[in-house]
Amino acid sequence: MIIVIGAGPAGLAAAEAASRNGSEVALIDSSSRLGGQYWRHRSKVTGYRSNRADEIFAKVSAAQSITHISEANIWSAEREGNLIRVNYLQGGIESSLTAEKVIIATGAYDRTLPFPGWDTPGSMTPGAAQSLLKGQGVLVGKRIIVAGTGPFLLPVATGLAEAGAEIVALIDANSPLRWSLSPLALLTNITKFSELVYYVRLMRKFRIRPHFGRAVTTFANGVATISAVNSGFHIKSGKSQAMRADVVAVGWGFVPDLSLGGILGCAQRVDSDGTVIFEVDENQLSSQPQIWIAGEATGIGGADLSLIEGEIAGLAASGQKIRHALLTERVRKQRFANALKRSYPVRDGWREWITSNTTICRCEEVKSQEIKDSVSELGAEDSRTSKLFTRAGMGLCQGRMCSRNVSEIVSGITQCAVTDGERIAASNRPIAAPISLGQLSDGKNSR
Amino acid sequence: MKNPDAIVIGAGIVGASSALSLTNAGLKVLVIDRGAVSSGTTGAGEGNILVSDKDPGPELTLALHSRNLWFEMQEDVGDSFELEAKGGVVVARRDDGPLMKLATEQSHHGVTIEKCNETRLHELEPYLHPDISSGVFYPQDAQCQPMLAAAHVIRTVVQRGGEFISQAKVTRIIVEDCAVVGIETTRGTFRVPIIVNATGTWAGELAELAGSYLPIAPRKGFILVTEPTKKYIFHKVYDSDYVANVASSDADLQTSTVVEGTRSGTILIGASRERVGFDGAMSYEILRTLAAQATSLFPVLRDVQLLRAYRGFRPYAPDHLPVIGQDAKVKGLWHSAGHEGAGIGLAPGSAALITDAILGRDSFMDGAAFSPARFATVNS
Ligand SMILES: Cc1cc2nc3c(=O)[nH]c(=O)nc-3n(C[C@H](O)[C@H](O)[C@H](O)COP(=O)(O)OP(=O)(O)OC[C@H]3O[C@@H](n4cnc5c(N)ncnc54)[C@H](O)[C@@H]3O)c2cc1C
Ligand SMILES: Cc1cc2nc3c(=O)[nH]c(=O)nc-3n(C[C@H](O)[C@H](O)[C@H](O)COP(=O)(O)OP(=O)(O)OC[C@H]3O[C@@H](n4cnc5c(N)ncnc54)[C@H](O)[C@@H]3O)c2cc1C
Repeated sequence: MIIVIGAGPAGLAAAEAASRNGSEVALIDSSSRLGGQYWRHRSKVTGYRSNRADEIFAKVSAAQSITHISEANIWSAEREGNLIRVNYLQGGIESSLTAEKVIIATGAYDRTLPFPGWDTPGSMTPGAAQSLLKGQGVLVGKRIIVAGTGPFLLPVATGLAEAGAEIVALIDANSPLRWSLSPLALLTNITKFSELVYYVRLMRKFRIRPHFGRAVTTFANGVATISAVNSGFHIKSGKSQAMRADVVAVGWGFVPDLSLGGILGCAQRVDSDGTVIFEVDENQLSSQPQIWIAGEATGIGGADLSLIEGEIAGLAASGQKIRHALLTERVRKQRFANALKRSYPVRDGWREWITSNTTICRCEEVKSQEIKDSVSELGAEDSRTSKLFTRAGMGLCQGRMCSRNVSEIVSGITQCAVTDGERIAASNRPIAAPISLGQLSDGKNSR
Repeated sequence: MKNPDAIVIGAGIVGASSALSLTNAGLKVLVIDRGAVSSGTTGAGEGNILVSDKDPGPELTLALHSRNLWFEMQEDVGDSFELEAKGGVVVARRDDGPLMKLATEQSHHGVTIEKCNETRLHELEPYLHPDISSGVFYPQDAQCQPMLAAAHVIRTVVQRGGEFISQAKVTRIIVEDCAVVGIETTRGTFRVPIIVNATGTWAGELAELAGSYLPIAPRKGFILVTEPTKKYIFHKVYDSDYVANVASSDADLQTSTVVEGTRSGTILIGASRERVGFDGAMSYEILRTLAAQATSLFPVLRDVQLLRAYRGFRPYAPDHLPVIGQDAKVKGLWHSAGHEGAGIGLAPGSAALITDAILGRDSFMDGAAFSPARFATVNS
């Protein structure tokens, strides 16, 4: 049996590919629906080339050898001799499943940067706005500003507009001219132009105005400050304007969720954009035998790349031949993913947007000044020691949201670059999802 | 600092306290650590300052004095590390005979105890399992936030003319004619006649750098951290099995739970004891055992979510006593290490002992039981 963790594009493709030769697959996901981050729709999937989602949903549902285990939150995994045991919570009860092989496709979550007001009502991530809409049919506000950086802001803005919101502005801190740094990636991924044309048409239709080289730098009482920023994200003086909105949806790309692979000892490295990702070989095999990894967890690259990586992982895990064309296709998509990283960098000028009173860790309500004091007064030198002194990163989300920002703030003061070791340590957590002490101890008796 | 009077190696709680007491005695002190302050075991433990878990003997004498010095240190440094005399409650689940006997003996050696019947016990800890009917209350047991304590203590040392150099690994201890004359680090060489080796679990490696020997080894421990909750736990509560485990020489895993609430509302559950070297692997079986023990003490914890688990390596010596005093071979090399699961509690007391010894003063107790010389005969 093969366990596939995560039913986003990568996990779906992996499960489908593995089932082609009749391999037994258990597809486990914490959500009630298939689709992951991007395709988790309440009704029919909409958006650019939504038929890709329909096709794969149909295949996965039709495959006899795939069992979909939904609403199952995996909190840990461990090796047991030749097998890998995956422990999950479903309907308040802990269960587990063992298999010879595991494919990890746990995706990524939105990256946030703090700014004054980012922790007030009305401020959220684009991913949250989108999943409320797709998952629950809830429109988060009437007048919305979509901001941050990256092409994923386009489907969010147009999706919200289609649902009836007024998109006050679509704001990207980077300039589209940065694409000129990656001519080869553009030429070899010509089809991406039709995606762009698709979104530009929608933006015209809904009168969405894009702004580049700008960022939301404060938000309070329904008013956002939009500041012009240079390529280092430093605010250009005298070029700010105020905009009214109910909601600002601000996102800065994605952070992969590494918990499960980390628990199983899969090797990681720091990608060119500072993101920690898993190391995999050309068959998506991790550093650990019997464990393959696909999708955003091996580098942020979008749904297209995730589909191909998932397919390769599924074929490899089930012992099927992998066509050369598939591998070439992945190289092409990876080239595009690298161009995305070059075109939409997140620069550290954001550290000037925050004031001493800006919250950095929302779970534990730690302010920027406390982080600074932990360095200058108490001798913290990295996010770990700063956490020990301030509690930043010790709360409910366990630093998923703030630890990278804390590292960058600390490094801004010490003037020492954040080390790869620190980035990797801060990306790993021994408990992948919360579990109650009662559930944990009952698991002991049942074993 | 050009010519320090003494160098303390290690910026954990033991090194920090030593540096403070040496500074207060008038020495110019340089503190050196290969990482940041609190980056060793001090940053991976709990903050229990216990007298309740110790049998009468030199360690209890040290613990009692050290516990009082914690409050003096708070006066000296400022109320900045969440020090609180919250008291400990030790319960007996089956036969309460051994616990009561220990408590009586402890009370003859300066420990304040209160034997509790069922009503009193549940008054102290209303959420305790209703079947538990016997225990002892130890009002002297206290708690602090050790990472903050070490940081504030080092800060005070620096304010009083000392210096702290971080990210400097000691790579050589220069010994001439059986006496320390200096050290080499990754951030420079320093001449100094007095070194305090406060490197905890790594103290054996340091002794080796000076051509000497200390048998300090790691004993792994896991701690569970829950989400913040309503106040369910009012003291440090543990099962009397814990005392037996602390003193055990068995290499196998032992778990016996100490449950306590922290100021931030989270509950800490610890800790297991295992001798597996520096193997950091997570064991979910241990987490389950700790959870089972905690929920059997406090059934209300069943619905509380576990957020995190972490582990650390306690520094232990074969006889479970800390090593405090001058090296048996090398003059000027002073050790204060190997405090195992009690280094937080014992830190200021150990600092007073080592300072008195370095200055040749009388101390509050005879530290012979802690002398490094006790291992010298074994390995020379
Ligand atoms: C707002 C937004 C807009 C986007 N727009 C585009 C776009 O226009 N074009 C594009 O190509 N890409 C877009 N993306 C990116 C796209 O979502 C990802 O590339 C894709 O979802 C990655 O697929 P994946 O399979 O790696 O992970 P995901 O889709 O994130 O799936 C991971 C799944 O694993 C599950 N999971 C994780 N951990 C556990 C656990 N412990 N237990 C159980 N289940 C678990 C999650 O619930 C999730 O369902 C967008 C993303 C977002 C958030
Ligand atoms: C799970 C767990 C729970 C615990 N709970 C408690 C408790 O509740 N109460 C209690 O009293 N104790 C407790 N302890 C024990 C306590 O944490 C330790 O005894 C104490 O922290 C030891 O302090 P230290 O200063 O000696 O060592 P450390 O804090 O480890 O400091 C030693 C320092 O030396 C540095 N160092 C090492 N080698 C070199 C070198 N070559 N050059 C430069 N620097 C070097 C290290 O970087 C480190 O910072 C617990 C321990 C664990 C693991």
